[in-house]
Amino acid sequence: MQTSTMTDAMRPPYPAEPGAGVYSNKLGMWVFLASDVMFFTALIGSYIVLRFGMPTQWAQPGAVLNVPLTGLNTFLLICSSVSMVKAYAAIADGKKYFLRKVPGQRLQDGGLKFWLLITIICGAGFVSVQLVEYVKLVGHGFTPSGYREGSLLAEHALADPVKYGAGVAGMYGSTFFTMTGFHGFHVTCGVISMLYLYFTKVLPEKYSPQDYRGIEVIGLYWHFVDLVWIILFTIVYLI
Amino acid sequence: MTTPTPATTTHVRPNYMLIWLYLFVMTIAEVLLAFELPVSRNLKLILLLILAIWKALLVALFFMHLKFERWRLRLIFIVPLPLAAILVTAVIMEKVW
Amino acid sequence: MTSVAHAKPEGGGGAHDAHHAPMSFWRKYIFSTDHKIIGIQFLFVSLFFLLVGGLLAMQIRWQLGFPGQPMPGGSILPETMAVNRVILPEYYVQLVSMHGTFMVFFAIMPLLVGVYANFLIPLKIGTHDMAFPRINMASFWLALLAGLIMTASFFVPNGPIRSGWTNYAPLAARPDLSGVTVGQMLWCISIVVLGLSSVMGSLNYITTVINHRAPGMTWFRMPLSVWALFITAILGVLALPVLQGAAIMLLFDNVLGTHFFDPVAGGQALLWQHLFWFFGHPEVYILILPAMGMVSDIIANGSRKPIFGYHSMVFAIIGIAFLGWIVWGHHMFMSGMNPTLGSTFMVSTLLIAVPSAIKVFNWLGTMWRGNLRFHVPMLNAIGFVSMFTIGGLSGIFMAATPVDIPLHDTQFIVAHIHYVLFGGSLFALFAAITYWYPKMFGRMMNEGIGKLHFFLTFIFYNMTFFPMHIIGMGGQMRRIYDPTVYDFLKPQQPLNVFISYSAFALFAVQFLFAFNFLWSLKFGKKAPQNPWEDNGMEWSLPNPAPHGNWEKTPNVYRGPYEFSAPEAGDKDYLPQYTKLPTDRDPVPAPLPAGGH
Repeated sequence: MQTSTMTDAMRPPYPAEPGAGVYSNKLGMWVFLASDVMFFTALIGSYIVLRFGMPTQWAQPGAVLNVPLTGLNTFLLICSSVSMVKAYAAIADGKKYFLRKVPGQRLQDGGLKFWLLITIICGAGFVSVQLVEYVKLVGHGFTPSGYREGSLLAEHALADPVKYGAGVAGMYGSTFFTMTGFHGFHVTCGVISMLYLYFTKVLPEKYSPQDYRGIEVIGLYWHFVDLVWIILFTIVYLI
Repeated sequence: MTTPTPATTTHVRPNYMLIWLYLFVMTIAEVLLAFELPVSRNLKLILLLILAIWKALLVALFFMHLKFERWRLRLIFIVPLPLAAILVTAVIMEKVW
Repeated sequence: MTSVAHAKPEGGGGAHDAHHAPMSFWRKYIFSTDHKIIGIQFLFVSLFFLLVGGLLAMQIRWQLGFPGQPMPGGSILPETMAVNRVILPEYYVQLVSMHGTFMVFFAIMPLLVGVYANFLIPLKIGTHDMAFPRINMASFWLALLAGLIMTASFFVPNGPIRSGWTNYAPLAARPDLSGVTVGQMLWCISIVVLGLSSVMGSLNYITTVINHRAPGMTWFRMPLSVWALFITAILGVLALPVLQGAAIMLLFDNVLGTHFFDPVAGGQALLWQHLFWFFGHPEVYILILPAMGMVSDIIANGSRKPIFGYHSMVFAIIGIAFLGWIVWGHHMFMSGMNPTLGSTFMVSTLLIAVPSAIKVFNWLGTMWRGNLRFHVPMLNAIGFVSMFTIGGLSGIFMAATPVDIPLHDTQFIVAHIHYVLFGGSLFALFAAITYWYPKMFGRMMNEGIGKLHFFLTFIFYNMTFFPMHIIGMGGQMRRIYDPTVYDFLKPQQPLNVFISYSAFALFAVQFLFAFNFLWSLKFGKKAPQNPWEDNGMEWSLPNPAPHGNWEKTPNVYRGPYEFSAPEAGDKDYLPQYTKLPTDRDPVPAPLPAGGH
């Protein structure tokens, strides 16, 4: 580094270093995702510590939470993830259209507009189901501060304290609503950004196989949100 | 070293629908494992975590294309993981001692 | 931004902006996406918050020096803060908490990272602007919003937080214990917003440094200031989200009735401390690494020698940043933490002395037998090295558990943090502000006032903070309201009075700096193009640097510290942008295309 310019001149021409080898938007998104990992670490880490660092068992899986409904939600999010990656593949192949008949194939071939719309619908569906879930849970008496006095769940907890984790319901509610709430917030942000892209970039066909950075970047974010949900579903609903 | 990767020379695309099927099957397996399988709670916990990490890896490697990226990009995503592990380990040790 | 398909190899949209028609005042100075303007906006805002934090400190010193006596100017305070101009205990603890909060989050951190990462990174690596100029602008406005929210907490019922800047739970988590409701929520909201702002800024700096370096600006040709700011940005991106998460949980504890940090309901108070300090220790390095980087540049310049051990400096920065993640427990030796963890943290903390010492010795090695030029930035940089060394040495006291236990939570730790944060970061900032002032505003700050300011600050600073070591060892608690209530502290009271007078003088001396700064904006000497005869890329531009920086992306031919190089001829410096006949042009790297 401190070598004199004479030796520099004897070397081959100095290439500018290629950086990360990816364009800046994508690199920036990856850096953001790394920081988001740390955000969810704070939330999930607190959950792990509060739950497993405690002698009392929390409520058994399925006792309070509606696992079939959330299983459906997980399915929706996985579908949206695969449709996102199909949208990405479509625009990389130059398929800007919605649906098009391909000779020799029974099904119509989906383009960017089709797959991104599916992603948005699945994402919005996820948020809606989650809202319904929240409303139902609060209705049953499951709140961020525990089982509400006099509610259905509080009575159950009195009858069967082991199954319903009586006594530590406060922690259960705190962590459950914080973790899933912030995940839902991420999904909502993703849906809003995709809607924005859909109307400003996708419908006017601004993307091309030469430049589809927006789709790839939002795709990375979306898959990450899916990835977080995969972890959350297992540790919150099934364990 | 400095050659760009043009959009046209992409890798062979993985079969996304197949990965979707894997994810779907594994989710069902998880739910069955959690509620139907008569094994001990600790074993269940380990199996469920393995399945969850496997699914997460599938998403990261294929949907997020980490399998096809350079190491220096993968590194960005890997760096926070040990930090997360350090934090959780330390705070868990707090309660266990 | 231009689309990639049409982008020239130089990349970035700034190339065109340079030829744009003049913009309106609002677009140019208020809602600007230009990194230099954003840096200057950060400068003014954070200097304002520095003043706020200083005013709070003066009230603390009044109470400690003259407990129970009416404070001059105290009549403007409402009854809830001061009765008959005498500071109330509740207000005193709010002063302590908000002094720390403002100084750490809204003065020093934005001054170092907001101002100088923004201003210096594109200029020093030879690019036109940040990778994401609009995110950069949003980062500034969010930081300002966070600052205003924090300031607003003074004007709500019950006032701002009373649990110290660290907001230890369960005091902070239980409004019924702390007596603060709205103020606590505003603190949490402000910190979440600030964290967002920092993450946005930091991901911008990281992307810019990785992807937007000029041709020939290889990793090991980057100035140490850029290296330090880059590593700092990595720390910021990974540390601040943890604080955000913790602040959100604390907010929910206060608002939604969750029980994360409330042991009565099954939560864990120590969890807050772990999360806070897991962020907090990298934060310490966010507050010192940029200072170290900029001081390295200035010391090489003032010594007219290449920096001693450039590579070891880089790896020391990286080493400090890495170790910074595994030492946070040394803030918690007093908390009743697991003793095994305690000794682990003690060892890792002591390890940090190694890279820090490497840096100090390298600075000394740089100055050794150099052709020293004692200009104002150099004086302040030397002040930084000496004060940081003292702060680092008292840090070793803190790192060792058995010594820490009696010293922690006394004024000793107050002395320690001020030696590294004031004596370290702030001296480096005085150096940096003076050094890059011509690049920002096209004029020089006054040399005479600058030197007077440095010497007076240096003297009063040591008179203020050094005796704190002594009274701390004497047992004075760090957040005590009235030291005279204990008999064993009474003999120290004259020392407290002495500290208070010195602190008032220290505060008064800062008006020299403020005057110099503001006066020079209009009446300073016009700056020549390269006033400090430095090698950095930024000095190839006129002062102040134009919008979009270079019309054409510059080439970089060598490292940043080629002082007294024989090739330079009659000059004793050889800028990175100067092409000697023996130099070949670097080949620009093609930009990656739109797909992968």
